[in-house]
Amino acid sequence: MEPVTSMRVGVTVNGALHEREVEARRLLVHFVRDDLGLTGTHVGCDTGNCGACTVILDGVAVKSCMLLAVQADGSSLETVESLASDDGLHALQQAFSDHHALQCGYCTPGMLMSAKHLLDHNPEPTENEIRRAIQGNICRCTGYVNIVEAIAAAAKGEVSA
Amino acid sequence: MSTTATTVAPEKVEAPQRGFAGQSVPRKEDRRLVQGQGVFVDDVRRHEVGYVHFVRSPYAHAGIVSIDVSAAEALEGVYGTLIGEEVAALTDPFFQLSVPPGSEIKDYALAVGKVRHLGDPVVAVAARTRELARDAAELVEVEYEPLDPVLDPEHALDDGAPVLHEDAGSNLVWSGTFDWGDFDAALAEADRVVRIDRLHFDRFSSTPLETSGALVEYDKGTGQWTLHTNNQFPGFAIIMMGPALRTGMDKLRFVSQDIGGGFGNKICTHPQLVALCLLARKLGRPVQWTEWRTDQHTANSHGNERVFLDVEVPVRADGTMLGFRCKAIDDCGAYSRYEPLGCIIWAQVTPGLYRWRNVHIDFSQVCTNKSPCGPNRGYSRMQHLWFTERLIDIVAHELDLDPVEIRKRNYIKAEEMPYETPNGCVYDSGDYERCLEIALDLVGYGSLEERRRDAESRGRLLGLGIGSTLDSGTNNFGQSQLLNPDLQFSGNNEVATVKLDIFGEVVVTLGTTPQGQSHETVASQVVADILGVTPDDVRVRAGHDTYWNSHAGFSGTYASQFAVTGLGAVKGATEALADQIRRLAAVILGADGPEEIELAEGFARRRDNPEAALPFMACGAIVNANNAGLPPELDDVTLNCRYVYKPPFQVPDKERKFGNLTLTYATQIHACVIEVDPETGVYEIVDYAAVDDCGTRIHPQIVEGQVHGATAHGLGAAMFETFPYDEDGTLLTSNFYDYHVPHALDMPPLKTGAIESPSPFTSLGTKGMGEGGGAGIHAVCAAIQDALRGAGNAIVTDSHNPYHRVWELLRDPEASRALVRVETR
Amino acid sequence: MLLSEVGYARPASVDEAVRLLAENEGARPLAGGQTIVNVMKARAAAPDVLVDLADLSDLRRIAATADGGVELGALVTYTQILTSAEVKAARPVLVDVSGQIADVQVRNRGTVGGNVCSNDPTNHLPPVLVAAGATLTIVGRDGDRTVPAEDFFLGVYMTAVGPGELLTKITLPPLPGGGDGFSAITIGADGTCIVSAAATVDGERARVALGCVAATPVLLETGCDEASVREAVRGAGLDPPSDVHGSAEYRRHLAGIVAARAVASAGEDG
Repeated sequence: MEPVTSMRVGVTVNGALHEREVEARRLLVHFVRDDLGLTGTHVGCDTGNCGACTVILDGVAVKSCMLLAVQADGSSLETVESLASDDGLHALQQAFSDHHALQCGYCTPGMLMSAKHLLDHNPEPTENEIRRAIQGNICRCTGYVNIVEAIAAAAKGEVSA
Repeated sequence: MSTTATTVAPEKVEAPQRGFAGQSVPRKEDRRLVQGQGVFVDDVRRHEVGYVHFVRSPYAHAGIVSIDVSAAEALEGVYGTLIGEEVAALTDPFFQLSVPPGSEIKDYALAVGKVRHLGDPVVAVAARTRELARDAAELVEVEYEPLDPVLDPEHALDDGAPVLHEDAGSNLVWSGTFDWGDFDAALAEADRVVRIDRLHFDRFSSTPLETSGALVEYDKGTGQWTLHTNNQFPGFAIIMMGPALRTGMDKLRFVSQDIGGGFGNKICTHPQLVALCLLARKLGRPVQWTEWRTDQHTANSHGNERVFLDVEVPVRADGTMLGFRCKAIDDCGAYSRYEPLGCIIWAQVTPGLYRWRNVHIDFSQVCTNKSPCGPNRGYSRMQHLWFTERLIDIVAHELDLDPVEIRKRNYIKAEEMPYETPNGCVYDSGDYERCLEIALDLVGYGSLEERRRDAESRGRLLGLGIGSTLDSGTNNFGQSQLLNPDLQFSGNNEVATVKLDIFGEVVVTLGTTPQGQSHETVASQVVADILGVTPDDVRVRAGHDTYWNSHAGFSGTYASQFAVTGLGAVKGATEALADQIRRLAAVILGADGPEEIELAEGFARRRDNPEAALPFMACGAIVNANNAGLPPELDDVTLNCRYVYKPPFQVPDKERKFGNLTLTYATQIHACVIEVDPETGVYEIVDYAAVDDCGTRIHPQIVEGQVHGATAHGLGAAMFETFPYDEDGTLLTSNFYDYHVPHALDMPPLKTGAIESPSPFTSLGTKGMGEGGGAGIHAVCAAIQDALRGAGNAIVTDSHNPYHRVWELLRDPEASRALVRVETR
Repeated sequence: MLLSEVGYARPASVDEAVRLLAENEGARPLAGGQTIVNVMKARAAAPDVLVDLADLSDLRRIAATADGGVELGALVTYTQILTSAEVKAARPVLVDVSGQIADVQVRNRGTVGGNVCSNDPTNHLPPVLVAAGATLTIVGRDGDRTVPAEDFFLGVYMTAVGPGELLTKITLPPLPGGGDGFSAITIGADGTCIVSAAATVDGERARVALGCVAATPVLLETGCDEASVREAVRGAGLDPPSDVHGSAEYRRHLAGIVAARAVASAGEDG
């Protein structure tokens, strides 16, 4: 294929295929937020440091501000909107609430997706493993204390009904 | 005026309200936020919106020779531009709070004639997409004539220094002398005088994760702007914007739902908001702006940098502190937007936690070619409290006194509360010594020397440091008159409405703009206890809207006051509603009077016959939809109650700069243990405790969360976070790559403790809290100084101590020691 | 945050990638994107075309070499290295170092090829590869060539990979007698390096490569005792940069310390 500045992209997002014509320069996070209207994924920096835009792409946690939407063509994407089900909140979501692991809630979607990626790969993490797993997610409200506790509780299934 | 004229008489202390208040109930806000269903400013969508990009100054200081927007406007998809000349024609400069020369500063929404800091907005461009707006911004041609920048506040007033604001004619914003007690007598009484040449509080900010932003709509028919924005103090923004835009409060509607952190950094966005208002009107379409991280760092609102010069501390031989004198220079950056309020806010905590009675400060504030400053968690008190704690530890160090003992000797005692400070502030309650003891226990103070030896055996230097925050909450805005006697601000207020609606819904609206402080939850606890329902039964509207009837002049969320002002309003409105429900039920149920009615389990029922009960749903339905035949004495029963809470303040004495400046004083004492690698200066916090006393806690878990967060800010500022500029005035940490904020691996395990010293001045015994960040900064400074005792004995004179600075202290301790002298009398 | 307009192509083969890179002026390869997308967000660089290597699955392979070394395809991610038995067996230091780079999300996308081709002086891998004596394979229209790591890094963001060329493989020889070590002073835990050093010890001799003290890794050959290492660093005439995270003097001071620590830990490795 020859280079194009815009192309039709198909991404399966939270189980549903979405197709859009997008500019090659469009960041995945803007595709998700602006084109698909899934505003749970946030932007907190310009440099890929803060992790508020973390999503799970083909099973792997990534920062959606450091990918182009065209790179995700043909991929499967999970955002924070996929976590809760008809049965209620995901264990991580409930644990975050139980442990007051969020204040303003801005970092929370990215934090939850990093935590989900951790527990998907390591169901019984140590505290240090939890801290390492969320090292790429900045929270300016909590000092991480309760976030670490919440993830540990979710891993152990200790969440309120 | 007598010394007691501005002192608040203690109210009778009520038994702490217990019920749902005092319990850590589930947070109402969480359900939407954990699902990504919050509505933050960048989530607001409108058709045909114009995305705005600001063209910003690449220079710290330069004249604007010309601006050419023609190429930008010609780009396909560009809706239009706005330049400084248009702003100058269409608006008036923002109201200045200072007296001359600061009052002469002309501050507009966009740079007019010259730019004064890197990132100063020069042109606004609106386009169909975010990307196009930036493309167009790159096509704007601005010709600059670079000028020498002023970067060092200590030289901003030198003869021949470039002047930022020609209208002011000087870089001075405000200056004044604060003199309380009798400092000369204190000097005469002293056995020792400790002199410190210079202490420096560094520039940083709490950098909320969500940057500033707004979506602004203009209604041509009514001339009304709606600003969906995360500004955290709409009361102040409107006061600034109304006159500038030559319009009234009713034409500026501020709306927010969820705000992604504020920490004070979202107070001073009024310049950008005015630019957006003008653009929305000019283009006839909604406009949307989301600040970039880099813009937030270069051009939003830094915490004030402050230097303390020629410090003198008279001390008795036993370590009793008699007072202090110094010259303070505060650097507010390029524009005074909330300033010079920082020149007085510190005086809320003049003696810190200590019984200093004789204080003399020559205070001045200057402009420099750096980002404007504004409130930042712990605003202005943080700088001053750091200064007081630094004095304690430097004096202890120089006189070989124990840092714990010298604190206990000089702390204001619990039994001295309420305590009037030398400048007339009244510390309401607290037990600093007890907090310190708890903090020391938590970090294992008893085994400290043992651990010091253990660290030494591993080639490490161990140090203990203590810090404090006196979190003065609920401002008396009358303190502004101590800076400028002509200002017409005083007191404070906040509003809430509580109503009982047709289907029995209890609906609360707040005047506050929470950014994570859980106001929906805490308000529901207070309402539930008064109405005899559960917090789940209470619906608190999410967010803020100045078009709700719950907005007053000081509405917003800032300066540690919700637990007093916000909850005071909620309590007042709810009690009024409860009274109306009782009156209604008494009539309907045939009781002798409202006092015969109790509210419980969602019913209004007769005390003498609980079977005779009216469900809230019936009350709401009767008044709102089925009210024919109600007796005239119920005419005023609307079941829709509004209450404005006003703290009991007087205007302070302007001559003496004397009076009560804040209503409540929450305390945090932090203790920190660090280990330093003497080879590299790298250090690690190995133990940390924060003990909080904010009076009666409505929701302990939320209070503890605030303590955690504030601590993280303090540790970040102590170790990593700084806004340094190079000699050209370029910010060196304009993103999170260089401006390192603590992440999960950087944070030590935090231990927390709490005591409750209820405030005698608030109806719930609560105190405002949340701004405890400063304690961590000092605790780290003190711990470094302690660790270095055996390795050159350096003195810590800066609030910010990255590894390389600690290495400098190890390598050349004499340089720091040369700043300190002890005179024996 | 918003990129300039750019062309995009996703070739199916290395040959096609090289053709696209050669035929389009201003074309740059796009691997994990963890550096270049950031650079483009800042509009510090504006390539005309991005050649996305995502479909070149051959470049994702990690393979043990016959002599006991290991080959890393240019698209191997840090996360892959963390769980690679081949790397663990051949050069375990790479596993340790990869775990210190940035954060999980970046490690999931970021590639070894991207790390070395961006050659930011604070990057972890350039000193490791130089100390270890790695070789890098570069493919162009005229075939491929192999460059030793010490000749690969030419300047900040400049390497031996020329226009129209593509780095495809990094080959690490088997461990010599001793072992590999790495030490860094970072901004916060596992943060950006202020100064870093990698060391490969072979018997009594060590190859030490210093990071963050010059545009490219500074290679020193030294004895293994601490005094020799420090002496070698002192004698290297380092002229490191000054910035907000450390003065030139501080970096010069740290260089001797981290070099000695890297050599010491290499000793433990062996």
